[in-house]
Formats: sequence, C-alpha cells, structure tokens
Amino acid sequence: MTYLVAGPPGTHPLTPICGDQYLNLLVIKFYYCAITVDTLVSSGVAIAVTLGIAFYAASRLKPGVPSKLQMVLEFLVSYVRGLVSETVTEDATFIIPIAATVGLYILVANWLDFLPLGFTPLLQPANADLNQTLAMAIVVFLISQWYAIRVRGLGGYLRHYLRPPFPPLTIIEEIVKPVTLSLRLFGNIFAGVLMVYLLTLVPQAIPLATPLSAVGVVIWKFFDVFFVGSIQAFIFMLLTIIYFGQAREGLDEESHGAHAPTSGHAERAATPATTH
Amino acid sequence: MNHAIALAGSMIGFGLALGGGAIGAAIGDGLAGNATIAGVSRQPEAQGRLQVIMFLIIGLVEAMYFINLALGFYLVTQAGAVTG
Repeated sequence: MTYLVAGPPGTHPLTPICGDQYLNLLVIKFYYCAITVDTLVSSGVAIAVTLGIAFYAASRLKPGVPSKLQMVLEFLVSYVRGLVSETVTEDATFIIPIAATVGLYILVANWLDFLPLGFTPLLQPANADLNQTLAMAIVVFLISQWYAIRVRGLGGYLRHYLRPPFPPLTIIEEIVKPVTLSLRLFGNIFAGVLMVYLLTLVPQAIPLATPLSAVGVVIWKFFDVFFVGSIQAFIFMLLTIIYFGQAREGLDEESHGAHAPTSGHAERAATPATTH
Repeated sequence: MNHAIALAGSMIGFGLALGGGAIGAAIGDGLAGNATIAGVSRQPEAQGRLQVIMFLIIGLVEAMYFINLALGFYLVTQAGAVTG
C-alpha cells in the first residue's frame, strides 16, 4: 500500500543557511539560522493558488450580476467589513485586507491538503509546521500592538498594562495570544496529518483491514479538510479581528462622556431628515 | 537506560495529557450543545445563527485537545530521537 505520508509527521528537515546556531529553550531548540524547505514549497504553492484566485476574480470583476467566485469573495469581504466595524471601529479599514487575506490564505492552504500530499516529501500540508503558523500569529500580534500604541498613545499603552486586577496578568495575557493562535491552527492540521499516518499504519498490523483503513482515510480527509480546515481558518480570522478590538478596549467608554452629547445631537438632527 | 526511562515517562505524560484533554473537550462540547438546545427551544427562529456560533465554540474548545495531541506527539518523538 502506498503511504500518504513518507515518514512520521512532525519531522520537517532543517536546511541550514548560515551555520548551525540555535537558542536552546529547554524544551524546543529554536534554530534561527535554518529553513524548512518543505514548508516553504508547500506554503508557496498555497500562496500562488490564493493569488491566482484573487487576481482571476479581480480581472473578471463586473457590475450587475456577478459570477459565483466574485459573489463568494464579495461575501467574504463584506462579512469581514461588518465584523471589523462591529468589533473594532468604523474607520479601522486597514484591518479588513489583513483579516480577509489571512482567512482566505489559510482556507486555501487547508483545502489544498485534500490533495494526496506527501507523495513527494516536499509537499506537506502548509499549516502542519509550527514555524508557518507562528509567523502569521507574530505578524498579527505585532500589528495589533502597533495599533494599540497608535490608538492609545505610548503613555496610554504602557498604562494599559497596569490595569487594576494584577498587572503581570495583562502581560501574560498579551504574550499568550500569539502562542495559542499559532498552536491552535498547527495542532488541528498536524493532528489531521497524524491521523492519516496512523490509519495507514493499520494494514501493517492487520492485513485484512486494508480496505477499512482506506475508507477511513477518505472519510477522515473529508472531515478534516472541509470541516476542521474551514472552521480553523474562520477562527484565525475572527481572533485576528478580536485582538484588534482588544487593542482599543475601554477607549470608547473613556471618551463616551465627552463625545456622547454631540453625537446624540447629530443623530437626533439626522433622523427626521432620513425619515422624509 | 536513561533513554528508556525518558521515553517511558514521555509516553505516560502523553497518555495523561490526552486523557485530560479528552475529558475537557467532551465537557466543553456538551456545555456548548446544551446551551444551543436551550437557546433553540426558547427561540426556534434563531437556530441558524446559534448553530454557527455553536460550531465556532466547538472549534475553539476542541483546539485545546488537538494542541495536546500535536505537542504530546512532538515531545514523544523528541524523547524517542534522543540517543543515550
């Protein structure tokens, strides 16, 4: 029987590019001078497909009755826009492309896993490598920190860490964000790969169970790719927006007293005009 | 000998992590389903919206279990790869 994965998953071979140095973090060795070629290739394929879909849709844009692809992408963008204006604020429009791109890319990368990857060791599920998901999570984390500084000012940003209950808790809360964000996606996709690997090991022990294991692989792939993959892509996108919302948490209440009367007057003045 | 002890210890720890994670994920799934059923029986027209939220919560809850699974497997392979 052909194995769907060449070796035990989780062993992405490292290719050193500038020596063999690493930071030893007790549990995990952090190689900062090496790359994993298989993840680079597979995420490159996912990036190419995502860009292809987006550019194809952009070149076929037309008003009136949109094509199906355009409808799906328009729904995605308008949904993200609604989420951002609900969770963060109306004028934080720079979050919309970040969140929509992250969501579309992870969705494409997860759905590409349905192809029988692993025939060549170079093509693995892109998100089954912690380096890949941690990179995305750190980018989201850094942009949300920058947004918090921009919105609150540097003093307000630092004061935000001295919130009443217990100051170190706020710092831990911030540091844990990228860790859980990346581990959630990585754990789900990696567990999918692991399950396929374990199912393909069954015929070695029980030769009669070969058809059962093949059916199991197909069923598991359907569940893992189309259900877990979509939900995890959606959750990553949603949490990205929620982290931006938390970056300006409490600001609206502080300025509420100052701005409430004017906005109230404006609304009251505007409502009769719109009802006519 | 040390290697065998490390491998055995990591296996036992992996089993404990999987067991605890499975208990937590199952309880969390049950709570989400319970709240969804209560919400639907109170407001049947909200079923569509509630189901979306329920699947979202289930994805978040079960992620902790998958994190356990992936990291535990990773640590076991690390302990198995250490020689000596």
